[in-house]
Amino acid sequence: MQVLLEQLVNGLTIGTFYALVAMGYSMVYGIMKLINFAHGDLFTLGSYLGYTLLVIGGGWVTTTFGVWGGVVVAVLGAMLGIGIAGLLLERVAYAPVYKAGRLPLVVSALGASIFISNGIMAVWGPRFQAYPATSIPSGSILLFGDFRITILKLVTILVAFALMALIYFIVEKTLFGAAVRAMALDRETATLMGIDFRKIILFVFFVGPALGALAGVFAGLNYTRIIFNLGWSYGLKAFTAVILGGIGNIPGAMLGGIMLGLMEALFEGLVSGAWKNVFVFIILIIILIVRPTGLIGEKIAEKV
Amino acid sequence: MNRRVFAMVTLVVTLSALFAGCAGQGAQTETIKIGLQAPLTGDYAAEGQWAKQSVEVAAELINARGGVLGKQIEIVVADDASNPKDSALAAQKLIAQGLQEVIASYGSSVTAPAADLYDANKVVSVGYGCTAVRLTMDKQRPYFFRTAGRDDTQSEFFVKFATEVLNAKRIAIMHDNQDYGKGVADDAMRFLQPYIDSGQVEVVYFDAITPGESDYSAVISQLKELKPDVWFFTAYYAEAALLLKQAREAGLTTIFVGNNSVPTPEFEKIAGVDAIKGSIHLNEPMPQFLDFPESHEFLNAYRAKYNELPGSIWAVYAADALNALAAAIEKAGSTDPDQVANAMRTMTDARGITGPLLFTERGDRKDIPYYAYIYNDQGVLELYSGQ
Amino acid sequence: MNPLTPKGLPRLLKFQGRQEAPAKGRKSRGLLALLIALLIAYPFLPFVNSYWIDVAFFVGIYVLLGLSLNIILGEVGLFNLGHAAFYAIGAYTTAILYTQFQVPILLLLPLSALIAGGFAYLVTSPIIHLRGDYLCIVTIGIGEIVRITALNNPFDLTKGANGITGVGNPDFGLFAIQSPTQFYYYIWVIIALVIIGLINLQKSRVGRAWNYIREDEIAAEASGINVRHYKLLAFVIGTALAGVAGNIYGSKMMIVSPSNFTFMESCLIFVIVLLGGLGSIPGNLLGATIIVVFPEIFRQFASYRLLFFGAALVAMMVFRPGGILPRKRERAGLRGLGISRLPADEDAFLQEALRAAPVASAGAVQPAENAIVLETQQITMQFGGLVAVNQFDLKVRKGQITALIGPNGAGKTTLFNVITGIYHPHSGKVLFMGEDITRLKPHRIIAKGIARTFQNIRLFPSLTCIENVMSGPHCHAHHGVWPALFHFAGQQKEERTILEAAARRLHQVGLWDYRNELARNLPYGKQKMLEIARALASDPQLLILDEPSSGLNDKETEELMEFLTRLVHEGFTILLIEHDMNVVMGISDRVTVMDMGYKIAEDLPQNIYNNPKVIEAYLGKEE
Repeated sequence: MQVLLEQLVNGLTIGTFYALVAMGYSMVYGIMKLINFAHGDLFTLGSYLGYTLLVIGGGWVTTTFGVWGGVVVAVLGAMLGIGIAGLLLERVAYAPVYKAGRLPLVVSALGASIFISNGIMAVWGPRFQAYPATSIPSGSILLFGDFRITILKLVTILVAFALMALIYFIVEKTLFGAAVRAMALDRETATLMGIDFRKIILFVFFVGPALGALAGVFAGLNYTRIIFNLGWSYGLKAFTAVILGGIGNIPGAMLGGIMLGLMEALFEGLVSGAWKNVFVFIILIIILIVRPTGLIGEKIAEKV
Repeated sequence: MNRRVFAMVTLVVTLSALFAGCAGQGAQTETIKIGLQAPLTGDYAAEGQWAKQSVEVAAELINARGGVLGKQIEIVVADDASNPKDSALAAQKLIAQGLQEVIASYGSSVTAPAADLYDANKVVSVGYGCTAVRLTMDKQRPYFFRTAGRDDTQSEFFVKFATEVLNAKRIAIMHDNQDYGKGVADDAMRFLQPYIDSGQVEVVYFDAITPGESDYSAVISQLKELKPDVWFFTAYYAEAALLLKQAREAGLTTIFVGNNSVPTPEFEKIAGVDAIKGSIHLNEPMPQFLDFPESHEFLNAYRAKYNELPGSIWAVYAADALNALAAAIEKAGSTDPDQVANAMRTMTDARGITGPLLFTERGDRKDIPYYAYIYNDQGVLELYSGQ
Repeated sequence: MNPLTPKGLPRLLKFQGRQEAPAKGRKSRGLLALLIALLIAYPFLPFVNSYWIDVAFFVGIYVLLGLSLNIILGEVGLFNLGHAAFYAIGAYTTAILYTQFQVPILLLLPLSALIAGGFAYLVTSPIIHLRGDYLCIVTIGIGEIVRITALNNPFDLTKGANGITGVGNPDFGLFAIQSPTQFYYYIWVIIALVIIGLINLQKSRVGRAWNYIREDEIAAEASGINVRHYKLLAFVIGTALAGVAGNIYGSKMMIVSPSNFTFMESCLIFVIVLLGGLGSIPGNLLGATIIVVFPEIFRQFASYRLLFFGAALVAMMVFRPGGILPRKRERAGLRGLGISRLPADEDAFLQEALRAAPVASAGAVQPAENAIVLETQQITMQFGGLVAVNQFDLKVRKGQITALIGPNGAGKTTLFNVITGIYHPHSGKVLFMGEDITRLKPHRIIAKGIARTFQNIRLFPSLTCIENVMSGPHCHAHHGVWPALFHFAGQQKEERTILEAAARRLHQVGLWDYRNELARNLPYGKQKMLEIARALASDPQLLILDEPSSGLNDKETEELMEFLTRLVHEGFTILLIEHDMNVVMGISDRVTVMDMGYKIAEDLPQNIYNNPKVIEAYLGKEE
C-alpha cells in the first residue's frame, strides 16, 4: 500500500515539472499554433544561466544572499534572461515566417532548437555540468512511513502550483487574459476587435520562455545534472502533456503534465521501466481516439 | 528553377573535388596518419571530445619521443555522431583518405558497421569504447582489435564479487537498454544462472531505466520495496549519479555497485560526496591507480594540458589504441595493414597506459584484470579491501 | 499577390500567352537530361572516390525517405513526425526475415514495403481522423513505440540495442550488389522508377484528390473526395516506400539497430520535405542532398556543424518559406495535368470539349417536371443545448429555384450542412429523389447528385482553376492507384473526360481564360463563380448555393441572376440561401422562411412580404 502511495507522490512531483514546462509551451502554442521545438532548449538555456549565476565568482551569489536568496536570484535572473531570449527568438526566427503558414514555422523552430542546443554546447561544453552542492538547499522531511521528500522538492511543487494559479488567473480572469484567449481562438477577428497582436505576442514570448527558465533552474537544483541536450526530452514531454490536456488551454496543460507524470511513475514503479514510454504513448493514443481534442480540449466545430 | 538545380549540382561537384583534392595531397607528406573516429557530436559528444583529447596527448608524447619509424604521427579526426549511418560515412571518409590504421570507435552498434568497412578495405581498426562480445566473436574480422575489455569479463567479475565477497542473496540489476548497459546486464544474468538454479541467489529486479531523464524516484521507490542486498548498475555515470543521489535522499541504503562507466569526475560532481561514499565500482585498473611509468607520464601530460583527468576510462583506451598501433607499426617496420595486424597479434612487449597491450587471435585484449574500488567517506576512490 | 492591383493584372494575363511554354519545356528537358547524365557518370568522375559515392548513396536513401513522406505530408498535408518508424519496420522486416529464414533480399524489397504499409494501415486507421497536431503527436508516439519495442527485443527478434547483424546484399543471381558503386546505381535506379510512378500519381485523379484534402478538407469531402480513404491511401503508399528505403538501408549497412530510427531522424525527413517545397519532387532531391551533404562538408568542423545547420534551417525558412524548389502549377498549363495527346492549343481543346457535349445539362436521369427532388422530414439538429434546426420540413421541386430565407442565426446553413451530410441530424430524414440519404457522408451525397457551394468560399487556393473544377467529376470516375501509377489507356481516357467536363464548366461560368491561374489569385466575384463551376462539374440534379450573391456588386449580381435562370432552363434544380431580396424576388419560384430553427412560412415570393410571421421575424414583434 505504501509503495502505491509513494508512487503517486513520485508521479505528482514528476508531473508538476512536466506541467511547469508544458504551461510555457502551451501559452506559445495556444496563440501561434506552433510546435515550438525550441521551448525545451530555452528551458536548458535557462538552466545553464541559473548555473552560471550560481558558480560565477566562486559562488558569490550564494555567499552574499544565502542559499535560498541565491536560488531566488538564479531563478529571477534566468527568467529575465530567457524571457529576453524568447523575444529575440520570436523576432529572428518566427516573426518573418508567420505569413508563410504553419509548416515553415515548425521547421524554423526545429532549426532554432538545433541552434540553441549546439550553441549551449559550444559555450559551456559537451560535458555534464552540476549545480554546485553549496548552492542547493538541503534537508528533507518525512512524509509518511519511511518516505522522505526533500524540502527543495516541496518548494518546487508549491512554486509550480502558485505559478499555475497565477497564470490561470491572468489568462482566465483578467481583461488582458481575455485578449490572449481571443487571440488564441481567432487571430483575425481579435485583431479586428482592436487587440494588438504584437503586444500579445510579446507577452506570450516573454512569459512562456521565462516559465521554461524557471523550470530549468529548478530542474538543475533538484537534479543537479545539466547537459546541452537536456531540453529535447522535456520539450517532447511538454508537447505530449499539452496535447493530452487539450491544445491551448492552461488548465489542460497542467492536467496533462500531471497525468503524464502519474502514468510514468505508476507504470515504471509497478510494471516495467523498459516499456514505460510505450505504455504512455499507447494510453495517449487511446485517449485521443476517445477524445480527439484532448482531455479537456473544447470541441471546436469548424464553421462551415 | 532548373538553373538552381544545376547550380546546386555544380556546387556539390566542386566541393567534392575540393575535398577529394585535399585527401589526395595529404597522403604524400612525411607523417604517419592515423585516423580517429569518435562521436564529436550527438548524445555522446563528451566521450568523443575526451577521446580526441586523450589521443592527441598520446600522440604528442609519442612524437616527443621521436615518433614512429622516425616519422611524426598525425591524427585525422572524423565525427561519427554516435549513429550507425554517420559511422559508415566517417569510415568511408577515412578509408578514402588512404589511411591504413584507425582508432574506431565508441559504442558497439556504432562500431560494427565501421569495423566491417575497415575490414573489407584492409584497414586496421582498433576499438576503444565498444565492449559487446559479438564484435569479436560473431565473425572473424582480421583487421579489427579493441583495447577495451568485453562485457562478459566484467560481468563474470561482478558475479564472483557479489556472491563470494558481498555474499549477496537478493540482487537487483539495472541497465539502460543501450547496447553497452544491456550487454553487461545480460551477461551478468547468464553468469548468475547457476546460482539462481541452486537457489543461492535471487534476482529481484532486472529492468531498464530510460536514459536522459531526470527523475528516477519511481524506480527507487520500487527498489525500496524489493529490498535487494546489492544493486548492480550497468550503464553510464550520468544516470548512475542521479539514481544514487536520489536513492540516498530517499533513504535507500542498498550497496550500489557500478560498472566501469560509472566512476568518473562527472559522477562525483553530480551525485556529491554524501551520495557516492560507500558505493563500489568494478573497473579495469584506473589510470590513477596504475603504477606504470606510462600511466604517470600520460596523466601528467594530460593534466598539464587540460588541467583535469580524462573524463572517462574509454578515452584512456582510445589513447592506448594509439599506443598499440604505434607499437605494432614499429614492430612491423611499416604501416602496411597486413603486417601491422600481424604485429598486433604477435607483439609481446607493448605497454600502454592501462598495462600490457596484448591481443588474442580474434582481436580482444588479453588479460585485463578487474578490481573493485570504493569511494571513502571523503569521496575519494580507493581499492576495495573488504568490510 | 492581389490580382486586382494594376501590377497584378498584366502578370495574370501574361500567363495566358503560352508562347514561351514550349521553349521552357525544351530547356527544362535539357537540364533534366544533363542531370541524369551527371547521375550516371558520377561514380566515374575523376575526383569521386568511394566516400563520395557512399555519400551519394545516402543522399539516395534520404531522397527515398523524403519522397515517401512527401506523399503524406506534402501531397495530403498530414503532419507525420514518426516516419522513421515505418523506415524501421522495413529495415527490421528485411533483417529478421533474412537472418532467420534466409529470404532473399530482393524478395524482401516488396515484402518490406508490404509490411510497412500494412502496419501503417493498422495503426493509422483508428486515428486518421485526428486533426493537425493531435495526429502529429500520435505519429511521434508511433515512432517511439516502434523504436522502444525494437530496443526491448521482444521474443529475441530484434536483438535489442545491438541490432541485427549479418544482413545480406541484394543478389541478382548473376551478380550481387556489394561495392559502393553498385549500391549507388541500385538505389538510383529504384529512385528513378519511384519518381516516374510518383509523377504519374501526382498527375492523376488520386494525386489531385490528395491535394484537394490538403487545401481544404471539408471542401474536398463535399466535392466528392472520400477523405478518409485517400488519407489512408497516402499513408499506406508513403510508408510502403519508407519500407523500401529501410530494406535498402539494411542491406547496405548489413546491420539494423534502433539508434538509426530516432525521433531526430523523423524530424530530418520532415525537414527534407519542407526544405525542398511541399509536393515538389525536384525539391525533394535537393532537400535530401542538402541534408546529407551539408553536414558532410562540415564534418571537418565537427563540433560546430550542427550549430551551422540549425542556423541555416532558420535562415532558409525566413528567406524561402515555400521551400527552395516549390511546385509551380500555374506555369505548367493543361499539359501539366499529365494527360497524353492533348492539343498544344488549349483553346482548340476547349472547342473539342464543347463539341463532345455541346449543351451543358443536368445529370442523366431526369425526373418529371415539378416532381419533388429533395425533401427533408422533421429535421432536428442540436449543438449542446442549442436547437439550431427544429423539426424542419422542406420540399424542393424539379426545375424550380427554391429560396431559403431568414434572419441571421436562423439555422439555414446548418440545414444545408445536414442535407449535404456534413452534420448528421439528431432526428428526421433527408430524402433525395425518394431515397433516404440522411446518414450518408458528403462525398456519397454529391455522387447521388447534390452539389453545393459554401457561405465563406471554400476553394482549393493553391491549385489552378481548372484543377479546382476537376474535383467535380471525381465522384463519377473510378480509376484508382494502379492505373494511375502506369497511366493505362483506360485511365487516360477517363482523365480526358474529366478535363473536358471541367473545361466546359469553366467556360460556362466565363473563367476559361483563368484556367491556369491559382484559385487564390482570383478576385472575390470570380472565386464565387469558380465555386459554382466546381459544383456544376459534378453534374448534379440539385445545386445548393449558400448566399451566392453576398459580396457581389450590382452588376455581378445581375449576371448571377441571369446565370442561375439559365441553369434552370438547362434542367438544374436550385436551392439557395439568400439575403438579397431582389435576388429572392427576382428568380425564385418558392420561398421558405426560417426563424430560430423553425419553418415559419412557405409561399410564393410575392406573398412572403405580407406574411405577418415573416415581418415579425425580421422586424420584431409589434408591442
